[in-house]
Amino acid sequence: MPAPAAGRIADRLSQDDKPSIFPATQWTQLGGAAIGGAEDLDRLIRQYWAPLRIFFVATFPQLRADADTWLQDFAEDKMLKAGWLARADRHRGRFRDFLKTSLRNFVFDRLGRAEVKQAPVALEDLKIEVADAPPPSEAFDLDWVRTVLAETLRRMEEDCRNPAEDQPRRSHIWEMFRIRLLDPIFNDTEPPPYGELIARFGLVSPTDASNLLLSGKRIFRAHLGRVIQAYAGQDAATAAEIRALEDFVAGLAKRG
Amino acid sequence: MPERNYSEAALHSTPKGLEALFNSGSEGVRLWRPEELAAIFRHQLTAPVLVDLGRFDVGTAAKLKGLTDSQGLLLKSFSELFHHPTPPLELLALTKDFAKANMNHPESALPGEVATAIYYLSIATAAVRLGERISKLTDADLRRGYAWTCAQHWVDPETKRLLLQASGDLPASEPGTAEPAP
Repeated sequence: MPAPAAGRIADRLSQDDKPSIFPATQWTQLGGAAIGGAEDLDRLIRQYWAPLRIFFVATFPQLRADADTWLQDFAEDKMLKAGWLARADRHRGRFRDFLKTSLRNFVFDRLGRAEVKQAPVALEDLKIEVADAPPPSEAFDLDWVRTVLAETLRRMEEDCRNPAEDQPRRSHIWEMFRIRLLDPIFNDTEPPPYGELIARFGLVSPTDASNLLLSGKRIFRAHLGRVIQAYAGQDAATAAEIRALEDFVAGLAKRG
Repeated sequence: MPERNYSEAALHSTPKGLEALFNSGSEGVRLWRPEELAAIFRHQLTAPVLVDLGRFDVGTAAKLKGLTDSQGLLLKSFSELFHHPTPPLELLALTKDFAKANMNHPESALPGEVATAIYYLSIATAAVRLGERISKLTDADLRRGYAWTCAQHWVDPETKRLLLQASGDLPASEPGTAEPAP
């Protein structure tokens, strides 16, 4: 296995200026030999590194110590190679599933190769263990949802805090969304009552108040759609992916 | 409550939190809690007529200005409109339409209950102050709507008196015709 190189993706994950995610490219446009979007793919990988790592460690616990190196190699040998993403055709399943299968196959393939000396675990043992273990997809998908929603909130806040000149109320929209919807979720607080909002936001009518909140919801939905569309592709696929993610977390929440 | 990094918080959120986050962007989820209806109704009554109706139909903004200022009435709020001895009929009709448009829309700017109250209040005001009927609803439907609005704890006594008067002015209902709430 190659040694980690300086400046590799894993080393850069803690950068504050975490960029946006998958290239905003339709699946149909990915069929070319040269994607020409190494930077975009690099961002893609960095964004979804955490769920990939969770999946890797859960699937191959014996390789945990070298997880970052394995993922680095996977990224460089597969994901960043022209043509890899083109294989993730939307008709062949969801991108998330493609990513998992691709990583699994990559590990099996590499361990099975003759040039891998002193592999940390015998391939046959690993295959048996993986087959017997419960599928780690749930942990992967959960972290995937977290990543998608975290990116959505990051973009929304940035969008609202840097309004254009013709959007003077954008910061109020974020503030209203934050105190009415986000704080109750993340801080377990009661939202401030309507009466308090009148003075706080200088509201002239309930329509004013509702419009701030409705605008916040729409901005959230728009960013959520864009975050998912970047990897899911066309509108229909994005809508399906949003439903799938919603159903997935609803199922988990129901189980407690 | 100090602001936190919500993006970071989402990365550590529970499935319940993530579900709530998805719901926060969903259509059709109530914006306001039932216990906030009183404050919202009070606020609606003090809201400038021009602001809400002007937004409702931008093209009529100038017309509205004329209506609110007509005959020196200088109506500024919905409360002043409903409790004025001779409110402009057209303004009441516009208010009724504004309320109706907000009654059943999933992303309505007004809670359905408050919109419903404003709707019946507009009709009642036209009937009591001007002797005009601005609705095609049957007497039974109107009576039911007035009764429902009066039954809301967040409706003030003065408004309830107006609704009761409008209901009383309707022809007596036939015996045995029950009138459940809308």
